[in-house]
Amino acid sequence: MQLDGKVAIVTGGASGIGRATALLFAREGAAVVIGDVNPTAGQEVADEIVRGGGRALFESADVTSAADCRRLVVRTILEFGRIDVLFNNAGIIRRATVMDLREEDWDRVMAVNVKSIYLLSREVIPHMEKQGAGSIINTSSGWGLAGGAKAVVYCASKGAVVLLTKAMAIDHGPRIRVNCICPGDTDTRMLRAEAAQLGEDAGSFLADAAKRPLGRVGSADEIAQAVLFLASDASSFVTGTSLVVDGGGLAGTG
Amino acid sequence: MRGLEAKRVLITGGASGIGAATAARFLDEGSVVCVLDCDPVALHRIKQELPDLAGILPADVSDLKQVQAAFAEAIRLMGGVDVLINNAGISIRHSFLDITPEEWDKVIAVNLTGVFYVAQTAARHMMERGSGVILQTASTNGIMGYPFYADYNATKAGVIELTKSMALELAPKVRVCAVAPGYVLTPMQRAEYTDAMLEEVNRKIPLRRHAQPEEIAALFAFLASDEAQYITGQVYTCDGGEIAGGLASR
Repeated sequence: MQLDGKVAIVTGGASGIGRATALLFAREGAAVVIGDVNPTAGQEVADEIVRGGGRALFESADVTSAADCRRLVVRTILEFGRIDVLFNNAGIIRRATVMDLREEDWDRVMAVNVKSIYLLSREVIPHMEKQGAGSIINTSSGWGLAGGAKAVVYCASKGAVVLLTKAMAIDHGPRIRVNCICPGDTDTRMLRAEAAQLGEDAGSFLADAAKRPLGRVGSADEIAQAVLFLASDASSFVTGTSLVVDGGGLAGTG
Repeated sequence: MRGLEAKRVLITGGASGIGAATAARFLDEGSVVCVLDCDPVALHRIKQELPDLAGILPADVSDLKQVQAAFAEAIRLMGGVDVLINNAGISIRHSFLDITPEEWDKVIAVNLTGVFYVAQTAARHMMERGSGVILQTASTNGIMGYPFYADYNATKAGVIELTKSMALELAPKVRVCAVAPGYVLTPMQRAEYTDAMLEEVNRKIPLRRHAQPEEIAALFAFLASDEAQYITGQVYTCDGGEIAGGLASR
């Protein structure tokens, strides 16, 4: 058990990479607090963990709200007494060029993908500092390191996460480690929504992925394993880094 | 203590020190107890130590909205509030000449405005129901002058006068008293002392020691009980004789 006795917050924990990570963290012994805007799916993840003998709770939270972030942290402390791991994972995508992106979509994507990390981390860090240790993992993307078509604000937001991660790592060492993951295309609901935004079917996305070295998209469970590494003591000398988990997508094409 | 069984008690600043000891005492008396505190870590800890608590309520008493929400939650959890221990308070050690406006505002906000917010919220509930007891934590620092805590001392003097005025207006339905502890050896206070400092302070106290938090809790239990039904508007000092003789006891 790599997270025995630890307490973790997972945002965007109701689905996709967040859900897979919440379940994996719980299997590794952590008490997991799931924050999400989707109460039905979020509660189901918590219930699934508790049914399996683990410790979990769901707290309805919009991580773009400072008040919600504060409430999420207070609830976590009241219930479990500490916070060892923060997985800032909530994220959304809008597929558009600067010419067709709506201004409110720019603001929303930047708020969910970037500002939320600031809002929630500032509530969590004082607890980690007092405890003397903690690990923060932010979700960036392969598109935080390389550009992609019709995804300007998503790329901008995920690029921001990469540098926000490095800057936080500098500020909050040596007690707190801050890293991010950069997943490539992953088989989640968000990927399907993305296809819909472009008027394509998800099948074409999955087919595109065949060009990368490992010849397929990733599963949420495979991304969760990378998050577990960064959350656990196995990565005790790793901070400020961006861990690419993309089946070789950024390595190039053969 | 007569009359505390099944009484519904809300204790502010109840997650540590005097408040936590008071929570334990009322649970021992068979009361139903909720504690309110601004420190969620301490709330988590007291819930582990006192699993019989009816509820733990995170709130900052200097924020009226949070006070009202927490009080409503206490009523939801216990069905009402019969006894309020209005205890939350902070202090900052600083010389009078160095007190910043921010420090002054903070101490006033918690110790005086916060006490008022909680007292008024509870008093409205109790007056409507026709009975209740409100007990507030003052201090010997609200009776005598002490160096390095001018702002704190002013708030505690304020709590004493607030107590007396409330007692007059809320009688005969609601009794209101204050407890004025002297030196109390809470775990937090002990951590701030070296052994030598503790010994030096103890020498000034006629009973030659600090109070245990449980001894302050016992006074709260008495004043809340039916044994104290004819007592209102008074301040009860529990200080090992510290202020009995003024300078003579120093």
